[in-house]
Amino acid sequence: MNRKFAITILYVLPIPVLILSLLIGSSVKVGIYDIYDLLFRPEYSSDLTRTIIFDIRLPRILLVFITGGMLALTGSVLQAVFRNPLVDPYVLGLSSGAAFGAALGIASHVIPVKLSAFIFGLVAVALSWFMARKNKEVSIVSLILAGIITNGIFTSLLTIVQIMSDPFKLQSIVHWIMGNFHNASWDQLSMIMLPVMAGCIIIFVLRWKLNVLALGDEEAASSGLNPNRLKIWVLLAATLAGSAVVAVSGIIGLYGLIIPHITRMLFGVDNRRTLIYNLLLGGSFLVIIDNFSRTMAGYEIPIGVFTMLVGAPFFIWLLKKSNIGWQQ
Amino acid sequence: MRISNYIYLNCFSLCIVVLMVACKGNTAQEKQYTDIQVTDFRGQKLQLEQPAQKVVCLIESALSGIYMLGQQESVVGVPGDVYRGENWDRYADLDIRIKNKSLPTPGNWDFVSLEQVVGLEPDLVIIWSSQIQAIENIERFDIPVYAVMLHDIDDVFKEISDLGKLFGREERASELIGFTKAELGKLKQIQITKNRKTAYFMWAQGINETSGSNSMVESLFQLAGVKNACELPDEHVTINIEKLYDWDPDMIVMWYNEKLNPADVISNPLLKGLKAVQNENVYELPSAFECDFWTLKFLYSSQLVHFWAYGNTDMSSEPAADAMLQFLYNNNKTDE
Repeated sequence: MNRKFAITILYVLPIPVLILSLLIGSSVKVGIYDIYDLLFRPEYSSDLTRTIIFDIRLPRILLVFITGGMLALTGSVLQAVFRNPLVDPYVLGLSSGAAFGAALGIASHVIPVKLSAFIFGLVAVALSWFMARKNKEVSIVSLILAGIITNGIFTSLLTIVQIMSDPFKLQSIVHWIMGNFHNASWDQLSMIMLPVMAGCIIIFVLRWKLNVLALGDEEAASSGLNPNRLKIWVLLAATLAGSAVVAVSGIIGLYGLIIPHITRMLFGVDNRRTLIYNLLLGGSFLVIIDNFSRTMAGYEIPIGVFTMLVGAPFFIWLLKKSNIGWQQ
Repeated sequence: MRISNYIYLNCFSLCIVVLMVACKGNTAQEKQYTDIQVTDFRGQKLQLEQPAQKVVCLIESALSGIYMLGQQESVVGVPGDVYRGENWDRYADLDIRIKNKSLPTPGNWDFVSLEQVVGLEPDLVIIWSSQIQAIENIERFDIPVYAVMLHDIDDVFKEISDLGKLFGREERASELIGFTKAELGKLKQIQITKNRKTAYFMWAQGINETSGSNSMVESLFQLAGVKNACELPDEHVTINIEKLYDWDPDMIVMWYNEKLNPADVISNPLLKGLKAVQNENVYELPSAFECDFWTLKFLYSSQLVHFWAYGNTDMSSEPAADAMLQFLYNNNKTDE
């Protein structure tokens, strides 16, 4: 009964969160009455209100929701594939690859920052995959080790770019790495939709197979599945979606680790159901956190700061309260 | 000629004259509009129909320029670091709104709140040209952006000149530039041909952080008549102590530092072999506000460095600094 109630809450949660977030902002010129006018008496509404609500707040809130949802979803999927609760979307070098790509874009101006981050995020994961591949097989341990090596390589390359950058560019690189959404726009939203949709569709089509894969390669093979091919598809989908959102948001640390754990503690481990829960909870929670990020000070505060400050205590509280913690 | 023809001719002439006057009037009006046209540091042409009335300035040094021009009333948004430390004390003296922290801060470095900027409905935003994404976003809303990037002193002069045009304060801009150039001219007249001293610049991050030949520090040292010990081309570079010993400068000039003072540097055992340390020729610029290299106030820093290097007492006295600040800020203190 409780779980059903929690699931119902989770399904409807995004609606009030998104609507309330639309009402919250840093501009003093757009208050609740202006929004009322905009929605119910548009003839009395000003262009400024329309611009701030529809061109600034709405695309940002949607982008944050999608990013949060995708980080949680891909984190959950990778934890299932790797059968390891410590895995997050960045385990195969996606974050360091994307950070290097973004730094290269910022420092050189030759390639657009977001495109560069997206491409190098994909390159890093591909590199991990090929480093781990031996005799046409990829073991989980070697893949995670290859991810650590890839992280190291791209972190070193990032450091080289940082050393060679002037203070202004260096500052921009550091700020990008902190993660932020203050440049959110409809363009960015449309830019990520294709890889995000492609990734989501593949993951949701394969979601029941993830449960079999989580049992182990041999069990998956005995069930008639090809675990290697399945892993490739799942990793490809998770990397596509993950790279796309990281390219527009920067690095939001540990979010893709914490939310899948929270979902698992609240709703169990069945991937057929928890994927959608991760998507909804991850999206809603990041929108709530971003509300702090954009309203606490006049200027923007990197969202990565709040994901840890708000998310970590909540996670610890849940961990202590839950009976399905990892202590067992 | 018949009288009627004579009247027609006169009427026709009158019409032509009226039309010419009218056209001349329009031309003058157009000229007035197109006069406000500058090219920013990205190379982008910026055109305003009238002098800027509501400005969001996200660069502290450019904000200083606006106050020097006496246009603080036009400022509707300032960078966040204006409300911190010494900056706040100094700007609070110049503007009651800053004293009361009532001016919005829609951005600090890369963290620009697009919503706040748009909400302030500015007719001009001043921002670093390196903030490409923020600029793109602001320009999407048809808000004119003046992007700044300062590499040397000529850039500082260009910035003040451009701001003068954008605010309709060209005369004041010329006056400021003229004053600074005249004062710098006095420094240039003192030709240092023999025993030109070498100086090492130390940023607030520590003794290893300095600036090379493509930097404002290089310009500052040139004006002061000293040679930059750091021969590397970088604007900002981290060097090791061995390199510093290779250069062995005659003097060390410290950027304003809250944690270290010259005595700390002199007593640092790692540095005891340096000529500058042995001779106790280590100096600290007294204030980040007064010595800001990215404004016309670099004049004061140049004078100080020159004084420390060669002991020319005409330069650097405190009254001289006060007089310079009073002239630059035009005694722009607001009444409470």
